[in-house]
Amino acid sequence: MTQSSPSRVDPDRAARRNARNVATRTERSEDQTDLLGKRSVELSRYFGGKIETVPKVPVRSLQDFALWYTPGVAAVSRAIQDDPDSSFDLTGRWNMIAIVTDGSRVLGLGDIGPQAALPVMEGKALLFKVLGGVDAIPIPIQVASPEQFIATVEAMAPAFGGINLEDIASPKCFGILEELSKRLSIPVWHDDQLGTAAATVAGLLNALELTHRSVRTVRTVLLGAGAANLVTARLLLALGHPPRQLTLVDQKGILHAEREDLDELELRNPWKYRIALATNGGGRTGDLAAALEGADVLLAASTPKPGTIRPEHVRSMAKDPIVFALANPVPEIWPEVARAAGAAVVATGRSDFPNQVNNSLIFPAVFRGVLDARARSIPDEMVLAAARELARGASRKGLSARHLLPTMEEPEVFPLIAAAVGDTAVRLGIARRKLSHDEFLERARTLMGRPARLVRALARARLTPPMPRRRPPPRGTR
Amino acid sequence: MSGHKEGGGRSNGPGGTPSMPVHLRPARDADLPALIPLLLRLKRLNEEFDPLLKVRDDVEPQARQILKADLANPKAVVLAAEGVGAERDKVVGFVRALVRERPFYAPEHEGVILDIYLLPLYRRRGVGEYLLRETSNALKAKGAGIVTAEFPAQNEIANRFYTKRGFRPIIAVQARSL
Repeated sequence: MTQSSPSRVDPDRAARRNARNVATRTERSEDQTDLLGKRSVELSRYFGGKIETVPKVPVRSLQDFALWYTPGVAAVSRAIQDDPDSSFDLTGRWNMIAIVTDGSRVLGLGDIGPQAALPVMEGKALLFKVLGGVDAIPIPIQVASPEQFIATVEAMAPAFGGINLEDIASPKCFGILEELSKRLSIPVWHDDQLGTAAATVAGLLNALELTHRSVRTVRTVLLGAGAANLVTARLLLALGHPPRQLTLVDQKGILHAEREDLDELELRNPWKYRIALATNGGGRTGDLAAALEGADVLLAASTPKPGTIRPEHVRSMAKDPIVFALANPVPEIWPEVARAAGAAVVATGRSDFPNQVNNSLIFPAVFRGVLDARARSIPDEMVLAAARELARGASRKGLSARHLLPTMEEPEVFPLIAAAVGDTAVRLGIARRKLSHDEFLERARTLMGRPARLVRALARARLTPPMPRRRPPPRGTR
Repeated sequence: MSGHKEGGGRSNGPGGTPSMPVHLRPARDADLPALIPLLLRLKRLNEEFDPLLKVRDDVEPQARQILKADLANPKAVVLAAEGVGAERDKVVGFVRALVRERPFYAPEHEGVILDIYLLPLYRRRGVGEYLLRETSNALKAKGAGIVTAEFPAQNEIANRFYTKRGFRPIIAVQARSL
């Protein structure tokens, strides 16, 4: 590995130097976030939000409404009444998803409620459109319980080809996703669980290849037992990771079958309980340090705080350790500190370092794929297919310790992921529309390429006003 | 008030079959250090169901005293569940039950299962069935004509476990703060 070269930095000196830099860097990053935040508020006010609906049919005169609306439309309704699945052909349902949140865990902001979550959901809808060519409607809902959440989404499902759950607190997000997946015949996805886990697994597969390891023999530590890591653990087990060599660590230390809080977990978080019983068969107990000794891989998705992982933690791991410090905006350990301590491959959640593990690499393509296949659900096989295809995207361009995953600037991989997802839907027998691989790919390329042209055309026609300079005058939209 | 903890395992043959991860035997004084933490786990779990089951600060000496007294009480049944194979000497669960007189009803004696606890890894696979059967036999041998079980009203897992095995509610205990 690159780190074993003679010019290797003295890890202690690097750590000390870095400790000094960390404070400055954190401050600088906070200043930057502050500036972006102010600008974002200005622009939101100026544009009056981020998305709008646009007709997709010609409207030559008001006469055309006799076709698009009553009386003509009645026949379209009758056709759907006779054959409900034809709603995917006769309406925009084939490409329309709902982004649903209760606002209970928004970004790092916590439980800010549905209204305050709306700008985030609008942003997500924008990403869905621009990256995936998917029409996404933000729907933050005010609900009092998971049951009410489930009932509400079930009630709105007839309008959509898929549901994207967003920013829902753990552990209730697990029950909501499980139940909705059971009840609905359209795919349901919770990005904070599946998107993040899929991107993590993709990065890990490549990191293992780079360091000549196999998922079937490594010892892995997952720091944090929230939405993403519990699913990452499940996916790793599905890939054949030995359960005895998988260890989860949370604020209370190593998660194991005899931990004091396990009975409480069975009641309050059965997902975590099941993983606790399935993993750490080696019977390790104690803290992060105890878990990491001799481990090959550390996947951290915990609370954002540098110093959560210390250089000595990394040094205690096996040779050429793999370290993913995915907390945002501040990773659990700065990449250069991890590398100086011997990490062979380091990934973070940030775009300003190499190897960003980013769920935007996954969700637009997954939805492109499930919508094009008109899939009925999103089983883990599909999530893994997406992860594998994303991983291949980086190998195709040349895998290295600094190019573990494609970046957002390598969009050619996205239609390939969509096609892999579509193929899997067909193979599993859950596709309403069975296209060939090439057909899925062609369709994804077309539909994913269209929004960029649309955005350019709107800008050229001045229908989207240009970005204003700082401090714009208020615009008469509200 | 106490409770029960057992995933609804299916019956798969008599206790002591190779698939059974535990072996049940009468508890002894030497088991006390292992039994106390298990009893505490159960009581702390019960606390999750209802604030009126809040565990006392002195729960540990209490647990020691009660268990010690029961081990010496001929009307009590205390069974220790040991692991098998390499874990033969490890106590992984227990049952505590008591034969009580029923002054107004027939049959005259009931065997009350007060506590059942198994560490999570040893649940399912028919272990609960095995514990219930062995406990019922021990209570019957001490003269009990019926077997009853006490657990927090909100403990759905325990409720399902007993209902599936022919139990039904006969006495309700309701509570409020004073």
